[in-house]
Amino acid sequence: MMLLMREILAMIAFASAMVFGIGGLVGLFRFPDPYSRMQAGSLCGTTAVFSIFLGTLILAPSAAMAARILLIIFFFLLSAPTGSYIVARFTWNAGTSQGKPLRNRIERIADKRQGGEAE
Amino acid sequence: MQVERAWRIIRFVITTIALFITWFLFTADFGLFSLTTGMVGSLLIAAITYEVFIARHQANLRFFIPHPFFLARYLFVIIFLLYQSSFRMLIAVITGRASPRIVHFRTRLRSDLARMILANSITFTPGTITLDLNDDHLTVHWFFCNTIHAKAVGESVKGRIERHIGKIWL
Repeated sequence: MMLLMREILAMIAFASAMVFGIGGLVGLFRFPDPYSRMQAGSLCGTTAVFSIFLGTLILAPSAAMAARILLIIFFFLLSAPTGSYIVARFTWNAGTSQGKPLRNRIERIADKRQGGEAE
Repeated sequence: MQVERAWRIIRFVITTIALFITWFLFTADFGLFSLTTGMVGSLLIAAITYEVFIARHQANLRFFIPHPFFLARYLFVIIFLLYQSSFRMLIAVITGRASPRIVHFRTRLRSDLARMILANSITFTPGTITLDLNDDHLTVHWFFCNTIHAKAVGESVKGRIERHIGKIWL
């Protein structure tokens, strides 16, 4: 009974990881400017990997294994945002502009695809 | 000169303890051989790297030794924020409704470690990503921007997290 409970919880964690991963990927291609793409990619990617770790933590067979997974989670929480920060910092230092407000850009792209007047 | 020397020894000891705890968590072994090897390795590595692990100018123990209770509470807060921001981001991906802008503000935190954790936490919180951290000045890309006034931005982006971190480190 206990094992079944744990497996169900782990499945929920893995499923949410999948949803976040796909959402981040869609955002990566959907948004127009580099910073927004970075937002979607890094944030949803971090949450996806974190959910997978949470699932493995629930399924961990022994306390020693769980302690190791906790340690890995700790290091991952430190390193993942640092990685995206380095990419963002170099984008910022290279002088990339932040672009126009998002809504108008997406509408304009949609207009272009429908063959309407773009600006 | 004496103070300098004492500070060196304190930094060396703290680095050794941190390394040994990490070793112990990974091995989870009480055997004499394992403990001796870990201790010798920790001492050697600490002797080489204590200058990097704790910089000389971080001259206060509360700059890098966390308050355990507040640290544990903060971990849960940050996990909650992580999921909340991911849900908001998913909604933004689906609807395409957002107002991204680059904003600037300053922080009150004083130690390097606390500032680094603050920058990392900002990357976790709803729709913000840290672009630059210069002393106490942060440049942040904010995805759901509604103001560009530095104080208002600082309060809504980092107000809560900064108060949490201020209790853990100085």
